[in-house]
Amino acid sequence: METKLRRYVEGLFEDTKPTRKAIELKEEMIQNLEDKYKDLLAEGKTPEAAFNIAIAGIGDVGTLIRQLEQGFRSEPEQELFEKARRKSALLTAVAVMIYILSVLPIIIFEVIGSGGAEFIGIPIFIVMAAAATGLLIYNHMTKPKYFKEEDTMVEEFREWQSDTKDQKQMRGAISSALWSLILVLYFVISFTTGAWYITWVIFIVGGLVESLISIFSTMRHNGR
Amino acid sequence: MSIASDLIRGHTDTIILARLMGSDNYGYEINKSIQERTGGKYELKEATLYTAFRRLEQAGCIASYWGNEQTGARRRYYSITESGRDTYKTLMAEWKSAKGMIDQLIQVEENE
Repeated sequence: METKLRRYVEGLFEDTKPTRKAIELKEEMIQNLEDKYKDLLAEGKTPEAAFNIAIAGIGDVGTLIRQLEQGFRSEPEQELFEKARRKSALLTAVAVMIYILSVLPIIIFEVIGSGGAEFIGIPIFIVMAAAATGLLIYNHMTKPKYFKEEDTMVEEFREWQSDTKDQKQMRGAISSALWSLILVLYFVISFTTGAWYITWVIFIVGGLVESLISIFSTMRHNGR
Repeated sequence: MSIASDLIRGHTDTIILARLMGSDNYGYEINKSIQERTGGKYELKEATLYTAFRRLEQAGCIASYWGNEQTGARRRYYSITESGRDTYKTLMAEWKSAKGMIDQLIQVEENE
């Protein structure tokens, strides 16, 4: 029955990010409920009645858990955090936009270009891609951490991360290898066939392949 | 009873601070002493209790630490800080003055 209490409380925290504060609150709740449960049994309650009384005394923990997730931030802190978050979102959006637009010069110079002019698009494309990548890296490095350093909880996250970390690393490696391959393929095919007007489709196919890989790996992970 | 509950709920912080004035204690034990003092008529919901703990800790009125029980689960204890003692005294004084005023306001004299 005590494991039933634990399961019940863990159910309440199911959708909560396992931060140090959340885990501490959960353990505190479980431990207090177990004490209460034992006392109720000692008073002569049946295990079922004791369980129900203990559970009924919990009340609405939803608000408390939400407050935990926001880290009980004070107002000005919250404001600063919101500002930083918006800036970060803007940088990401701009970077993605540059990525998308970066194929435009190639298409434009291909259409209007004659003689050697169609190759001008490629250096512009590379510069734009580099700029977008730079923006993303800058954004990642300057973005504020959601939790303060002491709350990043190396230990408590370990269990949770061990599952996803290897997977993430694997996916990152696959992704960078895939995109390098796609870039090489693009140039090789384009130079050999000269079909610059259509070969950019390779990038779209590449994105598709990456999504498929991601879907398969998620499915396999969940199926385990 | 619901009016009494609402009144009491407004003083959750004072009640918890009062329970910690004597000695450090943990959640269930604090709630149990609240229940015993009211003859089983009043008991804090656990969510209310933990929210108050977090709020008081954030405000620097109480501090928490994990006990080192030899057997079974470890308990999270709370202790009152110096600033918490001051807060308790302020809250207590406020309540006494409010109580006095309310008593005066709701009293009906026989000869009126």
